[in-house]
Amino acid sequence: MHYAILGNGICGMEAALFLREREADARITLVSDEHDHFFSRPALMYVFAGQTSLRDTEPYDRELYERMRFERVRLRVASVDAPGHALLFEGAARLGYDKLLLAVGSCGRPAPWPGSPGPGVHYFVTLGDLEGLDREARKGLRAVVIGGGLIGVEVAEILLNRGLPVTFVVRENWYFPLALDGNEAQLVTEHMHHHGIDVRLGVNVEEILRGPDGRPRAVGIVGGEEVPADLVVAAIGVVPNTAFLAGSALTLSKGGAVEVDDALKTSAPDVWAAGDCANVTWADGSRRPEQLWYTARDQGRLAARSMLGDDVAYRRGTWYNSAKFFDLEWTTAGWVPVLLNWDNTPIDPGPDVRSWFQRVPGRFVSQRIVVKGDRVIGFNFLGSRWDHEPLMQWIHERRSLRWVLEHLHEAQFDEEFMPRFRVLPTARLG
Amino acid sequence: MQAGLMNTYQHPISSRQTTAWFLSALLTLSYLLLYLGPIPALGVRWDVFQAGAEAAGLKSKWTLYGLLYTLAMIAGGAYVIRRHGSSRYQLIRTSVVVLVQITFGFSLPIVMKVFGQQEYYFSYFWPLKIEYLYPSTILGQPFLILAWSFLGSLVAFPLLAYFFGKRFYCSWVCGCGGLANTAGEPFRHLSSKSPRAWKVEQVSIYTVLFLALVTTAIVWVNWAIGKQHPDFARVAFKVQDWYGFAIGAIFSGAIGVGFYPLMGTRVWCRFGCPMAALLGLIQKFGRFRITVKKDMCISCGNCSTYCEMGIDVRQYAMANVDVKRAGCVGCGMCAHVCPRGVLKLEAKTDRFKGGTPIRVYAVDL
Repeated sequence: MHYAILGNGICGMEAALFLREREADARITLVSDEHDHFFSRPALMYVFAGQTSLRDTEPYDRELYERMRFERVRLRVASVDAPGHALLFEGAARLGYDKLLLAVGSCGRPAPWPGSPGPGVHYFVTLGDLEGLDREARKGLRAVVIGGGLIGVEVAEILLNRGLPVTFVVRENWYFPLALDGNEAQLVTEHMHHHGIDVRLGVNVEEILRGPDGRPRAVGIVGGEEVPADLVVAAIGVVPNTAFLAGSALTLSKGGAVEVDDALKTSAPDVWAAGDCANVTWADGSRRPEQLWYTARDQGRLAARSMLGDDVAYRRGTWYNSAKFFDLEWTTAGWVPVLLNWDNTPIDPGPDVRSWFQRVPGRFVSQRIVVKGDRVIGFNFLGSRWDHEPLMQWIHERRSLRWVLEHLHEAQFDEEFMPRFRVLPTARLG
Repeated sequence: MQAGLMNTYQHPISSRQTTAWFLSALLTLSYLLLYLGPIPALGVRWDVFQAGAEAAGLKSKWTLYGLLYTLAMIAGGAYVIRRHGSSRYQLIRTSVVVLVQITFGFSLPIVMKVFGQQEYYFSYFWPLKIEYLYPSTILGQPFLILAWSFLGSLVAFPLLAYFFGKRFYCSWVCGCGGLANTAGEPFRHLSSKSPRAWKVEQVSIYTVLFLALVTTAIVWVNWAIGKQHPDFARVAFKVQDWYGFAIGAIFSGAIGVGFYPLMGTRVWCRFGCPMAALLGLIQKFGRFRITVKKDMCISCGNCSTYCEMGIDVRQYAMANVDVKRAGCVGCGMCAHVCPRGVLKLEAKTDRFKGGTPIRVYAVDL
């Protein structure tokens, strides 16, 4: 049996390790043109900043491939010949397989504005993106980061650290409405200002203006203003890295993700897809890719089981996630409603859904607990550390707000001597 | 990112470039000159440190060394607090270890000498300070110091290590650890995380512990029977001298500090210190561990990179296994630098909920 895995990231690697565990003799090939070794994609910012080396971000020792007898192919795949069970590489080489997993991940969503293609406009998703940005981001250049999400804030931070003044342009009226409410977004924005980022909220980009040398000169925004820019980073989300699948036997979603069933099988025989590139069913019934480290890991394991013939179905458990906005750690668990559309119209979270919120004065720390009726259904914490396990357990146990507030300190996960959680007089439910 | 750790890899001195090798050579040579005095083989005919001390108006080169050591810790401590003071654990721990050095590690011994007492370092204990349980030391000390030394080494330390982990000493009190965690801070990421380095560490540190126990035993036997057996006495004195030179001077000093810029800060603590070996064994059965938050690790590697003891913390975090390692000195930096808050230093009997160990591929946890 020959398993080919397209992608050497967290999803592909987890699948490969799981396959090897169950089938000691199978041939397993990992295909990637990005890097010879599996590295942690969320850690690219630390490599850029010189906080770690690229080697430090490799989770396993380099002998792992040999120990696990993983073969590696460092080539770019041009297309998949699903009926013929083969990968076709650029340059006409061919690799036959018995079963194939597509774990090709994402790439940055292409900047849609006129003037975007060309030098000086960057993304920050792949190792190639890192190398390109690392070459060009020189101290003193004026940088504009476009996009109000997690990659945007990371790029703003590392560019600022390198000595580039950064303007952070966000389309929505508050930062990261996908996960934060207005209060939380304000706290994060204050924190970014505190670090010296020029945050522009509710701003729509119109075009990238270039000088006579072809380099970016400014970012033109709707309304006529020009924000001077020597370097632009588009961090407006990611799209499945599936352009090479156009014309293949595989069914793709409108957004380009590979359609899969609950067992992560694609429309083609003996082809599975998992991770960022797979269109899966969410808890709310919608079909979208889950572009998260944690789900890529879980889906990789599940895809391996599915390839081995286990009767499995992918179900995302209770939602949890974490990130960091400069120094502010963010932990979320359960259901936290999105309250703002991308066009800045408000979204009604539904009847009975309210948020308990408090902000600790003098510190960049806040806690929000989402309740439906009296039952706690979600948590959103900024600036302090929390163990999501008890939080998720309390959601399953259908605990009341009052009970949760009494027990919340048990879930605090801060370093020793850090201030303990307590309910402040300013806390309010609204 | 972690304010203060950015650009670590861009500084030549903290990334094993030429200046780092030069600094390492300089530090190692300084220790050799300090311990050996004149080294005719290298063309050094006079005791540089003694001459320096006298020029500075100090009687002994050891006072000069203590002064330089303490100043390095104060400067390094300020540097660490500027970089990591946002963490109260780092702030308090760094302040305490520097204060212990200023008082017990430097001032008090000088004051004792001024008052005609034999100098004594209340922050050092057997087997790190092996001579503190030698009969010659014990018999020369007042009862209170004797009690401090015995109770510390044999009763208090094992108990404290059981309840709080070896960090109570290695990261909060000890001067060797103190220098590593202050002046040595720019080099902490250079420790090797390879499984082979771990194997070497286990062989090396328990060998030194064994040598310390054997040397102590030989010295005591010699005290009891040395007068009747002059041949044994000759060997015993040789062993005692040899241990003091090879372990005390060369390993803990010349290599232990001299190799900071090449092998990371805790070369001595990790590969040599018999006290760390002993406390580590107790820690392994004690309450201290680093609790891992389940399934939240993004494998970025900051924890492993900044572990000065070369523990591959990430393997534990990825596998949802709490870290319980004899080597861990509880400096807390892994927890501090983790961008997802996955790690927490704790000393308690239970945890909220047991983790589910998943597969481990790189090392044997």
